[in-house]
Amino acid sequence: MATVTQTSKFSKIAWPTLAWIVALIFFFPIFWLVFTSFKTDADAVNPEFLWRFTPTLENYTSMTDNYDYWRFATNSVITSFFATLFALVVGVPAAYAMAFNPSRHTKDILMWMLSTKMLPAAAVLYPMTFLTKNILGIYDTHFLVIVVLCLINLPIAVWMLFTYFKEIPKEIIEAGKMDGVSTWGEIKDILIPLAWGGIASTALLTFIFCWNEAYWTVRLTTIDAATLSTLIEGNRAPEGLFFGRLSAVSTAAIAPIVVLGWFCQKQLVAGLTFGAVK
Amino acid sequence: MSNRTLPRILQTPAVLLLLVWMLVPLSMTLYFSFIRYVLNSTIRPEWTTPSLSNWRGLGNYKYVLEAKDFWLAVSNSVFIVTSILLITVILGLCIAVLINRSFPGRGIVRVLLISPFFVMPAVNGVLWINMILDPVLGLQGLAVGGINDLIDGMRDFPVLGHFFSMWPQVQPISFRGTNTSSIAVIMMVAWQWTPFAVLIFMTSLQSEDESQKEAATLDGASAWSQFINLTVPHLGRSIAIVVMIQSIFHLSLYAEIEIVSRGNGNKNLPYLIGEFANNNIGAASATGIFAVILANIIAIFLLRMVGKTLMD
Repeated sequence: MATVTQTSKFSKIAWPTLAWIVALIFFFPIFWLVFTSFKTDADAVNPEFLWRFTPTLENYTSMTDNYDYWRFATNSVITSFFATLFALVVGVPAAYAMAFNPSRHTKDILMWMLSTKMLPAAAVLYPMTFLTKNILGIYDTHFLVIVVLCLINLPIAVWMLFTYFKEIPKEIIEAGKMDGVSTWGEIKDILIPLAWGGIASTALLTFIFCWNEAYWTVRLTTIDAATLSTLIEGNRAPEGLFFGRLSAVSTAAIAPIVVLGWFCQKQLVAGLTFGAVK
Repeated sequence: MSNRTLPRILQTPAVLLLLVWMLVPLSMTLYFSFIRYVLNSTIRPEWTTPSLSNWRGLGNYKYVLEAKDFWLAVSNSVFIVTSILLITVILGLCIAVLINRSFPGRGIVRVLLISPFFVMPAVNGVLWINMILDPVLGLQGLAVGGINDLIDGMRDFPVLGHFFSMWPQVQPISFRGTNTSSIAVIMMVAWQWTPFAVLIFMTSLQSEDESQKEAATLDGASAWSQFINLTVPHLGRSIAIVVMIQSIFHLSLYAEIEIVSRGNGNKNLPYLIGEFANNNIGAASATGIFAVILANIIAIFLLRMVGKTLMD
């Protein structure tokens, strides 16, 4: 018996400590990014000031001059917001129909939607450039970025919504039908209030994916509609000359989303596993 | 209106939009892959506009298959995706089991752990390759310098100094080289996606049947055999989902490759397509079709494996 108590005492301290160490290791790169952002460019590469240095806000105050941060940030907010909105406007009715009036083909349609996510974006890179530049004339516009972000996230949005809607008892919707409520009324007055949490998590996750998207936003924009991904990628390798200011602008680019992510990490699991893991 | 029509109408916009999004550019890619089409050519200006009269048949495909970079790109794509999957699943399992107990500050540990998942890929690349992995100015360079100083200092010791003076200087690794940059990409993407695996495995672990485990303990089963025989099968479905979602995202991995390996000869399929697309659209399109075929092979396999469990 003595050994059992001993091991459990040991494991009471050792495992939590190890868990903390692992968590700190994983968080360290983000910490280091934020930490470096308070150093001047010269201090950032000087081993003498690795830990002890005079913190400065200079990198943040000169961010507008150095990188034109706010223009890119505004573009990110506009495009991610409207792409999310449109994905919901198109996705909610579709998921509603699939969850409450499933047909023989519903499963196949859902699977097919997911399979469109597997289509490698690079395969259609040139046709997209060609279409939007030479034929439609919408290259480097907010409209284009919004449409593309909406479409690449639509499959996941529909899937997530479908999972959440499926958990609402059918009887509630059918009771509404009996009372002669119109379909629009059903969606507006019964479905949306009931599935509010699910719709909100879908919106949050879609917004995060839109904000972080780094293929189409970089390839289909130059200046006018360029988002934060484009900004960071454009300043990728200054060979250590600008570590301080690069850290500051990177911190500013990820901070809103990381904080948003902290609040929705629980819903993330249900959403990304399509309700299969609970 | 019948019972059937309305649901169909509600689904139509989503289905139609995705159909157009998938078919229009893809059929153009298919068309371009069969013709001679370049963006700039002073010798053959007629090739700079897409036209059926420039028909090349399977010539572009042959050209791509014989290009020295193609197989490098294919094997690199597969290598990068499989390594990331292996690392994230194994590491994710270990960490999930580790934090699946109550201890002080568990909530904070969760928040710290999940944070990398929300970092945008461009920042991920810039942060790792500059601030952390740079052989001179990054933390790697500083760490290597520190170790060398330490060894140097030990050389002055009596007796032991002789032993240390036989040690070579530690050389920092440049992760921008052709051979090492995929390692850097794997490292940074695994850092970002391990938290995702942890989160999902942890959720799944919480629904594990504890009474089964207690019975196993009473029967004298070791912790390891409990893990292999009870926990891992219980996690089967979530492992499958983690593999599927990650394959979707990593097959089209681009920002990290672009940031780490720009111009150093290391590439995956999306990057190779981008290179061809600077001028040779025919070759870029043929490579694109190969990428679609590769993705489809993987997709069919994965959707077969995972699709069923998702629908239950």
